[in-house]
Amino acid sequence: MRVSRLFQKTIFGIIALFGLIGISTSILSIYSVDAHLSKEYESNSKGIAKTIADASVDIILNRDLSSLQSLIDQFVEIQGISYIYITNENGEFLAHTFVPGIPREIMASNVNQIETVERQITGMGEFVEVGSPILAGVAGTVHIGMDLNLVSLKIQQAIGQQIYLISGIFFVGIFAAMWLVNLVSKPIDSLQNFAVQLAKQETTEEENESLLIRKDELGNLARLYLYFSSVSDDDKVGTTQTPTVQSS
Amino acid sequence: MKHPTRRNLIKASLAGTLLGPYLGAPTLASEQPVTADLKGLVNGVSDDQIVLGTSAAFTGPSRSLGIELYRGAMAYFTHVNQNGGIHGRNIALKLYDDGYQPVPAVNNTMRLMLEDSVYALFGYVGTPTVTRVLPMLKKFQDRDFLLFFPFTGAQPQRELPYGEFAFNLRASYRQETAGLVENFLATGRDRIAVFYQADAYGRSGWAGVRAALAKHDLTMVGEATYTRGTKYTASLRAQAERLLEYSPQAIVCIGAYAACAAFLRDAVDAGLEVPIANLSFVGSENLLQLIRESQDNSERYTRWLVNSQVVPSYADLTFPAVSEYREFMREYDPAVPSEFKDDEYKKFETSFVSLEGFLNAKLLTEILRRLDETPTRDELDNAVFSLQDFDLGIGELVSFSPSRRQGLDRVYYTIVNDDRFEPLNDWDRAFS
Repeated sequence: MRVSRLFQKTIFGIIALFGLIGISTSILSIYSVDAHLSKEYESNSKGIAKTIADASVDIILNRDLSSLQSLIDQFVEIQGISYIYITNENGEFLAHTFVPGIPREIMASNVNQIETVERQITGMGEFVEVGSPILAGVAGTVHIGMDLNLVSLKIQQAIGQQIYLISGIFFVGIFAAMWLVNLVSKPIDSLQNFAVQLAKQETTEEENESLLIRKDELGNLARLYLYFSSVSDDDKVGTTQTPTVQSS
Repeated sequence: MKHPTRRNLIKASLAGTLLGPYLGAPTLASEQPVTADLKGLVNGVSDDQIVLGTSAAFTGPSRSLGIELYRGAMAYFTHVNQNGGIHGRNIALKLYDDGYQPVPAVNNTMRLMLEDSVYALFGYVGTPTVTRVLPMLKKFQDRDFLLFFPFTGAQPQRELPYGEFAFNLRASYRQETAGLVENFLATGRDRIAVFYQADAYGRSGWAGVRAALAKHDLTMVGEATYTRGTKYTASLRAQAERLLEYSPQAIVCIGAYAACAAFLRDAVDAGLEVPIANLSFVGSENLLQLIRESQDNSERYTRWLVNSQVVPSYADLTFPAVSEYREFMREYDPAVPSEFKDDEYKKFETSFVSLEGFLNAKLLTEILRRLDETPTRDELDNAVFSLQDFDLGIGELVSFSPSRRQGLDRVYYTIVNDDRFEPLNDWDRAFS
């Protein structure tokens, strides 16, 4: 497809504009999806931690710890949750899901805190850990560790989908712009050729009928060129038929 | 995993009922098969059968526990059936495999209760499975289902809110772990560590050790865990090295035979030459077999073993029930359930697990005999409570009441001598 020189800059401008829109939208999407999903994972984990904390009260006060273990074993099956541990008010571990044992990083930490923290655990990976107090903290604390890599993967997947969509729109937009520019530039080429041929007196009205019957600006120009050409030929004003020019 | 819908479960159940006899459904014993016939059952009882429902590990790394418990029970039930049954009805088992996993155990129990409509649940294996099944018994308490003699010493089926739906024969893990701790402390070993399965079973034993040590103002010096289903071929070196750092003087293991055998191997190889105790659930003979078959110098490993048991030694013929057990096992030689048959599986002639299954069946038979000729589920409670000072034949009388839902309390301790388990009488000398 040959694009007229007149519109080459226009095409470049459209591509640059689409590119700018695509990149800025992607950056905004990455930021908002990352923030949204991170908050959602953290919020869900806090909800689960609270659920376990609420369910743990009766078990800790009245029942065997195997029931507590059974409870957290069910929650650790949820995708994204890597570990759960429950400590009593003295920081003693009452139940946990660690194999081959409680990591040193966690044993060395303040297990009664409930603030969200990021942990790097040797041999296990990176985690975001949320906490929830049991009976306002006087009966202990529940902690849930989410696999940060899995969360990142989920975020990447969501962002990837957005980028695919934006890229698709970008390429469709480029092709659409080129087609539209071509739609305009082709008759202009014809008009230019018509004008040149008219100047060389190498053309006839019949050969350019398609151009001359157009009802748009190009048709007006073609008819105007034809008029000037005939005026020049006759060297008289008013001896030829005045061209019909339509106002747009 | 796609979860079965209720409609699919009903279809599967119907298909199993119709096709079971032609596809080799589980039978009662190799010599006198009695297939659980679900046709004509009303609340688990028909004109010629009382059908009990079982979900246990018949496949997977802990399959021997389910298989041997079943074989022990079948030795007794076959004898009962061959001698007229219970008021003319044979005792039959409807079996499902849960592979020692909680979710299949729950699904199996749903089928047994809602579709198969068995008379009672019997012979379940494992804490993580049973603890998840107990809420179903409470949910359907209007149907009066009871769970008899599960192969677990955990607390949930011994106390509120689920204790009223189960009857236990064996001593609890609390009693086993307390006995082990007390004996270790008596021999001056107060640095006790725990190696346990990372689930409800492991936590139950862990809690038992913790409570026993707390009575002496002590705490466990360290702990290590493993994942349920770990095979003997797995390396448990990380767990052994973790415990080695704490310099324990004794280790209590709460696990199944494959993982506990692997831990024993790796612990001794890592230099942990201290008594390593296992609970009754471990499957002592399987553990010993794995070590013997894989190690040239097995005595180097087994000399540190001390296993608690909840039934007496199957070699002790001074107990009438043990003689009876050996005789029935020899006579009927119960087969592995046909649908779970595995050519690689080697049956044990005798074992602590099958002896427990035998005693479970013997006591349940006595309970069923105490029912009238048209038994219903709601009569079961009273039949159990009528057992007062009942002599099961192992030197310990069995009584039940609404506040006592466990038949036996005695714990036995065994060590390996000449490649077999023998009673441990002198703790000082055993590990000197």
